[in-house]
Amino acid sequence: MTRHNSDARSLVLRLAGPLQSWGGQSQFNRRDTLGEPTKSGITGLLAAAQGRRRQDPIEDLLALRLGVRTDQPGSLLRDYHTVSDYRGRPLLSAALSGKGTQKSTSPAKYTHVTQRFYLQDAVFVVAVSGPLEVLSGLREAIQRPAFPLTLGRRSCVPTQPLLLDPAADRPEERSGLWEGEPLPVLEQVPWQARPRGQYRRTPPPVVDLPVTIDDLAGDDVRPDLPRSFDPLSRAFTTRRVRQSWVRIATPFSGVTADHDPFALLGW
Amino acid sequence: MRAPTYVDIHILQTVPPSNLNRDDAGSPKQAVYGGVRRARVSSQAWKRAARKAFVEQVPEDELAVRTKRISTLLTARLAARSGLDAESAARVVTHLLAPLGIKAGKKATETAYLLFFGRPQIDRLVDLVADRAGELATLDDSALEAAVKDLPVKEQLASGHPIDVALFGRMVADIPGLNVDAATQVAHALSTHAVETEFDYYTAVDDENTESTGAGMIGTVEFNSATLYRFATVGIHQLLDNLGGDLEATITALEVFLSSFAYSMPAGHQNTFGNRTLPTLVSVALRADQPVNLVSAFEQPVRSAAGNGAESIKRLVAEMTRTNELWGLAPIAVWSTYSLSSNDTRDNGAVRTVLGDPLPFKDVVVAATELVRGRLTSGAA
Repeated sequence: MTRHNSDARSLVLRLAGPLQSWGGQSQFNRRDTLGEPTKSGITGLLAAAQGRRRQDPIEDLLALRLGVRTDQPGSLLRDYHTVSDYRGRPLLSAALSGKGTQKSTSPAKYTHVTQRFYLQDAVFVVAVSGPLEVLSGLREAIQRPAFPLTLGRRSCVPTQPLLLDPAADRPEERSGLWEGEPLPVLEQVPWQARPRGQYRRTPPPVVDLPVTIDDLAGDDVRPDLPRSFDPLSRAFTTRRVRQSWVRIATPFSGVTADHDPFALLGW
Repeated sequence: MRAPTYVDIHILQTVPPSNLNRDDAGSPKQAVYGGVRRARVSSQAWKRAARKAFVEQVPEDELAVRTKRISTLLTARLAARSGLDAESAARVVTHLLAPLGIKAGKKATETAYLLFFGRPQIDRLVDLVADRAGELATLDDSALEAAVKDLPVKEQLASGHPIDVALFGRMVADIPGLNVDAATQVAHALSTHAVETEFDYYTAVDDENTESTGAGMIGTVEFNSATLYRFATVGIHQLLDNLGGDLEATITALEVFLSSFAYSMPAGHQNTFGNRTLPTLVSVALRADQPVNLVSAFEQPVRSAAGNGAESIKRLVAEMTRTNELWGLAPIAVWSTYSLSSNDTRDNGAVRTVLGDPLPFKDVVVAATELVRGRLTSGAA
């Protein structure tokens, strides 16, 4: 059921690239990724576009409603990532000396081994809803970001187009923002998965895509709502979400949808 | 915050059978993109190779030059914060820095004067005297010296960073004050075509051992060969901030980064395979909006009977054209180093239009840094 809240607008982003990584609760040497973009990841992306520092407040970004549609789920990639000093020196430990400088590792440790997980070959469509002025400012910031935008980790550079605008024949096209809340908007954004020619079988004319929507009355809980990105007081809390499906048309006409083996015999 | 300026660098580089970057099982790193398996060199591997090359090539800054620069930066900031005139501020700063002294024989990059300071760090240094600046300016030399003697100037100056940290960043979890946000972003290098890993079965034979026959050791080494698309971007406004507004250092850092990123290569198995090659295409774009990664040119993998290198260049040019026209994301200027085969003149015209005429690489670097200098000088005014 679609609801049209005439005040709400949505900014739609296409998050696609060879590698993405949306961390949940991983710490230290094993950096996991979840299966879809997190609210803290998207909030960080928007704040970085605006040039906010980590200590700056982010309450206005947290008030935006988020919807994530998975067009292409991708697969998991494990990257073996070692950390060492390029000058060949032993690494410093996290412990501080009396003077407030880092102590050396004892015994001397030259290489630190970590595993970092990525989602490879995934495509997500993200709708962020809020008031018109806030979203217009965010849209301009994304077009001229103060910090380079990334899909979760700094080495995950997004591919173009990052912003998805409504089609040219729609009335809201001029502002670049879609009308409505995340779920109705995600029902309308065209399919963004990989183009024809790379499938072994032709996809059907419509596909059902999973969506995760911010919903205060939702059943599921996600622990990815940031309170602050300040390095000295980083904290996260939970948000409620609802998971659903949307039916999206693909560019494939579905002529070969039914395979009739007897057609060859002319029966 | 000042308007962003980004310098994107796109590289297409073919490596012969090699294993530049391997995981814990010894296999060359891979990724799936566009539904097919690709060769990958991780972003951290190439960043490290570039950083080692960077620190070797960065010109030795003279101590006298750097000393003067710190004094100038601090003086300007103190005058702005406290309302003192330039002369009085200079006097206070001279006394503030005096106790440091320069010891002979200390390693050049470690001397506090050769470190750089981001704007927040300069502010913290000025914080030490900003409140009392008016009062300090009225004191005579010996009283001023006594007043600033006990301030923790040495500790604050020791928190500066060498020039490569301004580019590559630093994170110290327990001391966030030492953190420096990197100015570069380096993507994982990905092959433009599908790649499968191959295995080299080798034996090691001891020719001196005449008693027994056969190999002393047998094993396999995995390898692949690929035409890699590499992408990096430098946020010039961020770099300038990390270097405390020092224009010359910013230009130097950009120039050395472009060369080291283009010429360096991770050293994995380099003696076994002898794989040090140079790029077939380097394209540097100056942009006033956002970094634009063109890896989507290769989402559909390149497949060519005439070699992947030439076809990859054509695909990259087509993607650049599409980005400029369809998405309205044209850069301010593009300079490129490449060579064209004379066979296909029709395509070559399109390549020259989008990439510019092919220039020697050092000319590309000079052109890019000069335009950046012009933008920073006019913008900073």
